Amino acid sequence: MTGTLDIVYAEYNYWIYVTLMMIGFYAMIAKKNLIKKVIGANIFQTAIFLFYVSLADITGGTAPILPHGGEHVEHAADVIYTNPVPHVLILTAIVVSVSTTAVALALIIRIYNEYGSLDEDVILAARKSLQPEFSEYARQKGVAEVGDQ
Amino acid sequence: MKTLALLVVVITGVMLIYAGQDLPPFGDSNTDMYQHRMTQYFIENSESESGVSNIVTALLANYRGYDTLGETTVIFTAGMAVMLLLRRRET
Repeated sequence: MTGTLDIVYAEYNYWIYVTLMMIGFYAMIAKKNLIKKVIGANIFQTAIFLFYVSLADITGGTAPILPHGGEHVEHAADVIYTNPVPHVLILTAIVVSVSTTAVALALIIRIYNEYGSLDEDVILAARKSLQPEFSEYARQKGVAEVGDQ
Repeated sequence: MKTLALLVVVITGVMLIYAGQDLPPFGDSNTDMYQHRMTQYFIENSESESGVSNIVTALLANYRGYDTLGETTVIFTAGMAVMLLLRRRET
């Protein structure tokens, strides 16, 4: 039992990221409110950032910023820097995250103006009543309809 | 529906934890990723090659400059999409 606990403690960052990521995943799947889905997607992305940054961490390591003015040549041996490569990857991922969130929120604003609601079921029902041919098409194609849960 | 979602989430979480057992322990410096010559090369040579003391900045703007240029394309595309979506339509 202590062996198992040691393994869990040595890798607790993975447990934290998986928990966070699954919270976001559940929100994306189960929540009916579109804003809550976007929040879930953001939690999911943040869990990935946490995972990568925790992979980069070194015990006793400092931020990967060299001392000013070439002093690092003498200190290079005794100073440990954390891994800078995952940090760079995550900087790129944060930009993508912000972009997708912006587009999602803009789409949600348009949907709200069109249907007057953010609830998935209400939007689908309104769409069905507005466009009967769409629901007919969906029935032919076997797409799940509102209420089939 | 909520039960199904919970089931999917739990299964995915267990699979991720199971896969994570092969990853190195937290804070370990003796990993392939850290000991790889690419990482060590960046730590040792990035200042003399790019003149920037922040290694992350040197990587982002110098070694991966084209990637960062592509990133601005992502931002531009997202900005255009938001503008097109939220534009007031005069009919």
